Amino acid sequence: MKKGLISTSFLCLLVLCLSVPTVCFANETAKAQTNQKLLGDESDGSRAASIHLIPLFFENEDGEKGGKISPDDDPLLPFSTRWTCGDCHSYGIISKGWHFNANDPNVVPGRSGQPWILTDARTGTQIPLSYRPWPGTFKPEQVGLTAREFTLHFGIHTPGGGAGEVETQDPDEIMRSYISGKLEINCLSCHNADPGQDQSSSTGYAVQIVRENFRWAAAASCEFATVKGSAKSMPETYDPFMPEPLEHPKRLPPTITYRKTAFEKDNNVSFNIVREVPDHRCYFCHSNLYMEKEDTEKWSSDEDIHLTAGLKCVDCHRNGVEHNIIRGYDEEAGITQNPLAATSSCEGCHLPEGEEEPKAGRLGAPIPTHIGIPTIHFEKLTCTACHSGPWPGEKTMLTKTSRAHRLGTIGVNKSHEALPHIIAPVFAKQGGIGAAYMGRLLVLEGGKIAPHKLIWPAFWGTLKDQNVSPIDFEVVEQTVGTVFANEKLPASGDWPALSAEHITKALNSLKGAVEGEPVYVSGGKLYNLDDSGKLHQEEDPAAQPYLWPIGHNVRPAAQSLGVRYCTDCHATDAPFFFGDVTVDSPIVAGREAKRMIEFQDINPFYAWAFAFSFVFRPMMKYICLGSCAVLGLVLLLYALKALTCVVKVLAGEN
Amino acid sequence: MYQTISIIAILITLVGIALHRIASPSRKKRQRKSAKKSIVGVLRILVYLLALLCFVVLAVTGFYPTLVLGEHISGYLLMIHATFAPILAVCLAVLAVMWASRCRLSYSDWPGFQRFVQRVTLVKSSVNKTPHNSSGLGQKLTFWLIIFLALPLILSIILSMFTLFGTYWQELLLGTHRYTALAFAMVVIVHTYLVIRT
Repeated sequence: MKKGLISTSFLCLLVLCLSVPTVCFANETAKAQTNQKLLGDESDGSRAASIHLIPLFFENEDGEKGGKISPDDDPLLPFSTRWTCGDCHSYGIISKGWHFNANDPNVVPGRSGQPWILTDARTGTQIPLSYRPWPGTFKPEQVGLTAREFTLHFGIHTPGGGAGEVETQDPDEIMRSYISGKLEINCLSCHNADPGQDQSSSTGYAVQIVRENFRWAAAASCEFATVKGSAKSMPETYDPFMPEPLEHPKRLPPTITYRKTAFEKDNNVSFNIVREVPDHRCYFCHSNLYMEKEDTEKWSSDEDIHLTAGLKCVDCHRNGVEHNIIRGYDEEAGITQNPLAATSSCEGCHLPEGEEEPKAGRLGAPIPTHIGIPTIHFEKLTCTACHSGPWPGEKTMLTKTSRAHRLGTIGVNKSHEALPHIIAPVFAKQGGIGAAYMGRLLVLEGGKIAPHKLIWPAFWGTLKDQNVSPIDFEVVEQTVGTVFANEKLPASGDWPALSAEHITKALNSLKGAVEGEPVYVSGGKLYNLDDSGKLHQEEDPAAQPYLWPIGHNVRPAAQSLGVRYCTDCHATDAPFFFGDVTVDSPIVAGREAKRMIEFQDINPFYAWAFAFSFVFRPMMKYICLGSCAVLGLVLLLYALKALTCVVKVLAGEN
Repeated sequence: MYQTISIIAILITLVGIALHRIASPSRKKRQRKSAKKSIVGVLRILVYLLALLCFVVLAVTGFYPTLVLGEHISGYLLMIHATFAPILAVCLAVLAVMWASRCRLSYSDWPGFQRFVQRVTLVKSSVNKTPHNSSGLGQKLTFWLIIFLALPLILSIILSMFTLFGTYWQELLLGTHRYTALAFAMVVIVHTYLVIRT
């Protein structure tokens, strides 16, 4: 009995000893597989373009890698970038890149950037949204937008991924998400150099998103595929993997056709993929149009000086395989720990440091001399303050951006007044840079003055414990939208002309529909009804404008602020300090102007007095130089007298 | 760095003056002759007093942000500084013209100078200890030092206002202005002490 017990224990011990290294080995193998670099993750050093003659793979109904696509497949499915491109490039790593990680709460938000703007003229709404915790923006959930709805609204100007790949938890959306699929990262949006890459035509990427054809969007954008039909019009029982004839013959299910000649030997397809993204691909989402003059055509204004000099966007906005693209602001190197950040900012190229390397600017960047500029300017201003964006005028101007105004897509409103109203350039003190500190988000304030774009939030909200939160946009449409249904909307896409009566009516309509006190925020003011039912307005922090810095277009030194004289900025009427910033609001009475200096945290009288002192500055210079001349002459005179004495002594005369 | 150097330098100056005051207390005040002052004499004193006032304002506005707040001069202090600076420059030019002749170093200053050198180098000499006015020599030396230091002090900041120099030279000129201002302030304090003493 005892012998048996000993032998059993021995056997158990033996099994345990053998199993431990086996388990450890298995773990190591799995780890090695996870960390294993794929073919395209690391360059072998060749700068030549890589040939992409590759098979296409679709994603199956379980979200796994499906089979290789052949033009004779039935049903013919769109290729999946996750499984096609992901064969050689780590999709999981790339999906953590800046363009795709907005909804990851662990990502350091850094400097405030351009928000997504939910706009509706009918309800007087323009509200900045962002998944990133940039102060002044609201989370899409706060206005009732699910990730799927967010993708539908704004996915057109994204390269996919992010919110487009979030698994929905909403039971109402599960079936629709199954039909439309995920909006995978569209690698082709940036990296396809073929002229046929279609982001915006009637069958291109943008239209596929509007039609909820998320699964088909990336494939539809490439030069050899065409997508027809719409997932949006499909019944919830529709299965794209086993499509059956529909009861409604007019409803066309999403279908893809590939150009037969695109398939080569073994059904491989050739892509014109480039490592360095062409500028025009960036421009689809990152174009700006400043309404400074009537003629806003491309040929009437210059491009960024760097592009004119022959550089590409990605020469500065670099990234590695992790796609953590450099944004290029001063503080980025300290905040993001991105090794490329320090050398890719303005200073990184134009003011290189270190003795080990030649002291010349990277990429041929000239080292600025800044002749006659007191160094205090470099402490108070960003480089962009003098070198970027439009030249400041007496009044700010309306600005359009690709992402806010859907520039480059079909049927875009070309009117200057089309909503949302983005105002630029506003020279404001930069703040709200989000940095990670001890596991928490730290918002850095009190930065330098930089040119910004600005938006005055206009939205319907509720006031609870002095906090304003926006109301679900669907509720707003149903209540306020109904109240304003008969209001005439301008054809230009501008705000309707609202009055205090309109707001009072709308607030009354919201009273029963929402919990808490309904309020309207617009033009820097908060509107609510007092106890007697009269409209009351006051300035409120929730109504403060949201600003984000302008990076481009960079102007050359010869066109920088201050190039003529100090009075470019230091004059009593200089727009830099005293220009008017338009206060935008659908309420006609709320449309006024603020002065630029109110955004700079500078005492207006001081700025005026300082500017006024420049009237006397030339006089002061010449008085001081004259005094120096007298002092110098007196010194010279007595020095010569002293020399006479010395000469006399040496000559023995005295 | 500049903050530390400035504090040490100003402390040394003040301690030096205090020690000097203890070591060689001023003699009984001589009865001043009630001679009638000429207009030029009155003007000389007025200009001197105005220069002293400007110096005080400039020293306070210049050193306060640097030494107390640890930051560069800016805001209203900068405006006051820039307003009083040209007045001081003009006063210095006027004083240079008016006082230069009186402050010439003459043969009568030689023994005092020798004694000063002996004190500094601790070398004994057989030079007769003839009585002389050491404060007078000090005043003359500090006067010439003030005139001499005023040149780089003013030029360093005025030249930086012209579109002549880039960032590197701007920093160099600003540094020159700050350190010259420190030296200038020390010399003015000593000079004022010597004037008051006599």
